[in-house]
Amino acid sequence: MSERRGEGDRATVIEAEGLKTHFQARSGIISALVGQKPKVARALDGVDVTIREREVVGLVGESGCGKSTLGMSLVRMYQPTGGRVRYRGEDITRAEGRALKDYRRQAQIIFQDPYSSLNPRLTIGQIIEEPLIIHRIGNAAERRERVARAMNLVRIPPAENVDRYPSDLSGGQRQRIAIARALVLEPKFIVADEPVSMLDVSIQASVLELIDELSRELGLAVLYISHDIATVGYICDHVAVMYLGRIVEEGPAEEILAEPLHPYTERLIAAIPRMDPAEAPERHELTGDVPSPLNVPPGCRFSSRCPFVAPLCEAVEPELSDQPGGRRVRCHIHDDGAARLRPDLARPVAGRVTHDEDVGILADAAS
Amino acid sequence: MSLAELNARLAAKPAAELRVDGLSVTYNTARGPFHAVEDVGFTVPAGTNLGLVGESGCGKSTVVKALMGLLPEGTGLTGRALLDGDDILGLTDDALRDVRWNRIALITQSAMNSLDPVYSIGDQIVEAIRAHEPVGRATAWARAEEMFALVGLPAARLTEFPHMFSGGMRQRAVIAMALALNAGMLLADEPTTALDPIMQSQIMARIRGIHAHMRRSMVLVTHDIAVVAETCETTVVMYAGKVVESGPTGQVLGRPLHPYTMGLQNAFPRLPVRGAPRQPLISIPGVVPNLASPPPGCRFAGRCPFAADLCRTTPPPVAAAGPQQAACHFTDRAEEFRAAAALPETWRKMRAAA
Repeated sequence: MSERRGEGDRATVIEAEGLKTHFQARSGIISALVGQKPKVARALDGVDVTIREREVVGLVGESGCGKSTLGMSLVRMYQPTGGRVRYRGEDITRAEGRALKDYRRQAQIIFQDPYSSLNPRLTIGQIIEEPLIIHRIGNAAERRERVARAMNLVRIPPAENVDRYPSDLSGGQRQRIAIARALVLEPKFIVADEPVSMLDVSIQASVLELIDELSRELGLAVLYISHDIATVGYICDHVAVMYLGRIVEEGPAEEILAEPLHPYTERLIAAIPRMDPAEAPERHELTGDVPSPLNVPPGCRFSSRCPFVAPLCEAVEPELSDQPGGRRVRCHIHDDGAARLRPDLARPVAGRVTHDEDVGILADAAS
Repeated sequence: MSLAELNARLAAKPAAELRVDGLSVTYNTARGPFHAVEDVGFTVPAGTNLGLVGESGCGKSTVVKALMGLLPEGTGLTGRALLDGDDILGLTDDALRDVRWNRIALITQSAMNSLDPVYSIGDQIVEAIRAHEPVGRATAWARAEEMFALVGLPAARLTEFPHMFSGGMRQRAVIAMALALNAGMLLADEPTTALDPIMQSQIMARIRGIHAHMRRSMVLVTHDIAVVAETCETTVVMYAGKVVESGPTGQVLGRPLHPYTMGLQNAFPRLPVRGAPRQPLISIPGVVPNLASPPPGCRFAGRCPFAADLCRTTPPPVAAAGPQQAACHFTDRAEEFRAAAALPETWRKMRAAA
């Protein structure tokens, strides 16, 4: 939608380095007594991400890949268990008390479901004003003015709407209110966690357009989380694809959408239904579900579902390797570093299918 | 009856034909009557798929509920729905029992809520089979195992309970259940909404497979027009309780006659093509009118960038161009509208006026 300027002149707003958020699974009293260590879910397992002013970074992946954990860890709704988060150069990974509260004024999050993220008993005005009260900003008159300003930003006329309730509004309008609530504190960084996936296609565009405009006009750094890689192409400069707690591919949005390198990204893009059935690509079905983060496979995390898997993939986890066009990808097909160290193990080859799911007679009949 | 006999008997069921004619549904609410569906008609020829599309609140799920006899008591219901010639609207409970699952099966929107949490999934499928076919438990279980294999689930998991399945697996279990009696007509109500694209593509591959493999008929209800483009021969577009456009999918989605269909098409996110300028994503401004007091003219007039005075006062007639039909006063200007609808300014002007 927009022409973005060069990256050089824009200041880094948020930066994560080797970020990890592990959750301890519940363990029973007996296993504790016999000294068993509780299992650990490695939801987010060493992720680097940088977002600059006026930049929208897209984060895609299927359910359970850790996208939301990354978003929540960046705004410190979750306490990261390793790595570092820097906000404008300042380390806030373990900020507490006053410093944490200050950071939370600067970093806001918008959730997926505008039907459950707004309190039905409060008016629109009260919902948007609440963050100001929590952060003790201004007196009643100033707050009213800030609420009106935030509502204007999201194109909901304040005069006739401040005293209405969420139930009077459509889904798209509600999501705009959720965005206004995030903007009222004048943050510099916003995480938008699947902001349009609950909305009808006919109004998705207007919310995406709004996020795009706000990022440019207010200089916001935005992390746009979505499982729909098609919408990412419209508002993002940079895309990161996550799988099982790690980034498997990242780079300029246009490059990645036009020519994905990682087999997982390829599959994500192929999965999108096409308006013109003649354009629909051949689809290799992925086997099963994302493995549990409690039980991360050795080697490449995608190896259990990858159609091109080779012995090397099951033994050695690939590194994120630099590729032409400012991209990075985590796959042995595109990086021979590991293959040189382990010449005894066969390396995967692009396009050579070694592992196709038995999709059953139905899918066979369909193809 | 052995499994082989049961399978042969079920396989002999022909695909069904469905003709819906003048279907209107009025909910009685505390604030008065609510005309959720008005004068809806379409035909699903035997062995074909029909896509019913539209945004939330357009009445598409109400159509499904009416066909399955799931509307609350006291709901106003007129019109006919002929399933192989028999009217299935307003049947008694007894008569419905014979039709549901046996002749018309439903794949529901939320798989979580359509499975009983206290019975194993196998038991639920067996119960559905034995309610309609005189077979023993062992035979029915064997049939259930076959259905699980068909949707790509391991037979061993039939003994598990719904909460032990992931969202995608539950959705596949519901499909297995809907297939168990090989009903001639399948109704799929948003079968992939809320699933991520990989799961959606897996489920749709299976649903398309059913069509190719078993030659069933299907009504697919969804707001995702690309899913319809890939799956259905016929498309029916609903808006605010009425059919606004219908016809062969290639024509309806390729050369739409109704401005609403044009809007839906332009709002749909597409993958960028390298080198080519990025196509703008255009939203349809405004909201669906309140159906407790619908506007007098065309229901889309309030959001239509091409609306004239006539549109606001007089309901549009249904104009036909071959097999494609649209309820619009100006179908003769469709070509010109299509060009204008592809420009963001056309709709932006509307938003400024709204």
